[in-house]
Amino acid sequence: MFPHLPREIDFFGVLLPGVLPVFLLSGLLQLALDAVLSHVGAYRNSWHPALVRLCMFVCIFSALLVTLYQ
Amino acid sequence: MNVSPAASPPSDHSAARRVFTWVRAQTADWLRTEGERWIYVVRAMLAAFSALWLAFRLGLDAPYTALATTIVLALPSSGMVLEKALHRFLGTLVGCAAALTLVALFPQAPIVLFLGLALWVALCTGGAAMHRNQQSYSFVLAGYTAVMIAVPAVDAPSGVFMLAVTRVTEVGLGILCSAVVHDVIFPRRHSRAVMRTVQARYTGFIGFCRQVLEHRITPADAELNHLKFAADIAALESGRAAAFFEAGHSRSQTRQLHAFNAAFMTALTTFYTLHRLSHRMRAAGEGPVLALVEPMFAHMAQALGEELTPTRLAQMRGALASDIAAARTQLAAGPALERALHIDFDTAVELLQRFAGNLADFAALYHGLAQQKRQQVSDPGAYSPKTPPAIIAASGFRAALTLLVTAAMWYWLAWPATVNAILMATIFCALASSSPRPTVLVQQVLIGFLLAMPLAFATEFLMVAKADSFWPMMLAALPLFSFAAYLCSGPRWAGVGIGMGMFSATLVVPANMMRYDVESFVSSELSLTMGVVVAYLMFKVVLPEHTMGHRGHVAAALWREAQNACSARLYRLKRHFDNRVRDLLSQLNAAAGPAPNAETRAVVRQGLTLLELGHAIIELRQLIAASHAGAARDSLDVVLCELAAYLHAPSRTTGETALHAILQAGTAVRAALSAALPVARHDASHDVQAERRARLHTALTDLHSIYTSLLDQLSTGEPHVSPSAA
Repeated sequence: MFPHLPREIDFFGVLLPGVLPVFLLSGLLQLALDAVLSHVGAYRNSWHPALVRLCMFVCIFSALLVTLYQ
Repeated sequence: MNVSPAASPPSDHSAARRVFTWVRAQTADWLRTEGERWIYVVRAMLAAFSALWLAFRLGLDAPYTALATTIVLALPSSGMVLEKALHRFLGTLVGCAAALTLVALFPQAPIVLFLGLALWVALCTGGAAMHRNQQSYSFVLAGYTAVMIAVPAVDAPSGVFMLAVTRVTEVGLGILCSAVVHDVIFPRRHSRAVMRTVQARYTGFIGFCRQVLEHRITPADAELNHLKFAADIAALESGRAAAFFEAGHSRSQTRQLHAFNAAFMTALTTFYTLHRLSHRMRAAGEGPVLALVEPMFAHMAQALGEELTPTRLAQMRGALASDIAAARTQLAAGPALERALHIDFDTAVELLQRFAGNLADFAALYHGLAQQKRQQVSDPGAYSPKTPPAIIAASGFRAALTLLVTAAMWYWLAWPATVNAILMATIFCALASSSPRPTVLVQQVLIGFLLAMPLAFATEFLMVAKADSFWPMMLAALPLFSFAAYLCSGPRWAGVGIGMGMFSATLVVPANMMRYDVESFVSSELSLTMGVVVAYLMFKVVLPEHTMGHRGHVAAALWREAQNACSARLYRLKRHFDNRVRDLLSQLNAAAGPAPNAETRAVVRQGLTLLELGHAIIELRQLIAASHAGAARDSLDVVLCELAAYLHAPSRTTGETALHAILQAGTAVRAALSAALPVARHDASHDVQAERRARLHTALTDLHSIYTSLLDQLSTGEPHVSPSAA
């Protein structure tokens, strides 16, 4: 979708991976989703809430990567 | 057959079945105790070696930092790990930024650089003493991360940016691995522990109230109970902060827990005042008032024996109201009481009603939490801790001095490995500053270092040196690290385990380009240990009395809090006052250990009296702020002034002046009360009058509790720790 996304970011001479901002962004999205889900009490019915949370993060991060880096 | 079924098991249970049940019981027992510890070790190792593997795989510069991070973050429950992870990351970021700034400002002047670093470390360590738990840790980390980055940059300032970036990356990697492993693999959830604490607190408090109401407890035991409750309040707050990070812990639960803690503190304070009053009345001997009040106590104790559902509570309050009405008619029918006795009766009744109301709030919050009901609770605000300023300044000063002393050693010894000593001394000086018994902590870490010395040497040169890839290396290092993690998991040897883990993480793990050099290895071992020895000596030598929860400092701080209650801004003052006094008491409890001595108990008694006094003062101030000008209000103002004077200079003369002012105010308020007689008409002016009467009644109760606690204070003749003594 965005073919010009940088693979690496030059941060004062240190090359940081380009996925780092995506990672942080998905972290933020995850936090928002997590707050909503715990507010509605969705975790109460899950067997392993922490695993659900981790999987949600993985899904968000992968979805962003797949759409942004094609 | 007349044997009950429980006594003789059904005969179809064969021997094999019995063996099976026995094995199952034993296994369950093992799983609860040792099993928990081994699961913890497995989690810690998984986190450690996954972080290490990733660090090697990504070719990071200092893989051992990632490993050390996972070892530091290995805590029993997932909430605690996540909380510490966040604070470690924040601390690292701030520390790196500070180091970069300092190095950029003074690149060519090592002396100024070290002075700047010492100042930064002092600020951070002082900040750590002001906060609790992981917030405190993040301050500690901001301090020593700056040292870690800036000290190696003395010789090569150009590499400092790379150092900082590497540090942040590796710490971030370690944090991610730890967070995922501890949160997902056999997690131990902290929310459950918090709920258990809440439950234990509730039953403990109700039991305590019953004991007191039935007079089955000595005053000394009651004081100890109050001390333990103060520690519980702080513990619940830290548990709540950790559980916050777990999945499924919503904001409304946080609010509920805050409200629960606040309701508990209010109920506890009212109950303490009530207890003191009943104690004083009993000490004065049998009297008409005692005979009237005792049945109310007995009824309440009986009501507390059953489960406090809302209907039960309403019943209890109804019974109390009818008891009070009966007592009043009895009082009116009998011979007229002395004025002082009448005041005692009024106060007892008012306090009982207030306590019943507080208890109802507390029980409602408890049931809401226990049944996971979603309640709309207004958040009373966060817990605010308080550390005596002298201790804050002393920990900052000690940390700065340690840094400067080790830096001087580095210069004069001209031994390159002293860098390690600087780091270790700073780290442990800062970490132990927040502990009530710093020397014990540093001693344990030192024992860990000494134990790890031969073990690390053997692991490195007999086992790790033979490994040719990651997996054999992991196998070689595993025993040492698991041993350290196992020690960490028990309360007794936790400090030793932390020391061993840190030491091994720094030394054993190979770098990307490994050099097996016995001389430099031994040199590092010695310098690391030397750093801890320096930290230990600093705690022994520099201001050894200025540690968290030291009796004298806590006593002085309690007096200052009471003075503060007279003069500070009223907004949320009551809650802050409550929090701070309880926090000071919990520090005292942590420092005093399981069996506090007589001096500590004296401070506790003093603190509780000041708490009672401060509460009454704040309430009076609220009443004054809400009331119209008049004789009653002016007299209350005078009382406040005199009380403030007494708290600033506690002596017999100021105390007696204050007592006199209170008596005057009592007369004035009583006059106002009789002027505001209830009117028969039900209209707006009636409501206003009723409200005014209620306010005046509250003022009388407050005046009475101030009067009696002041009288106690003056008559017992306890050696006062005056605010200027510290």
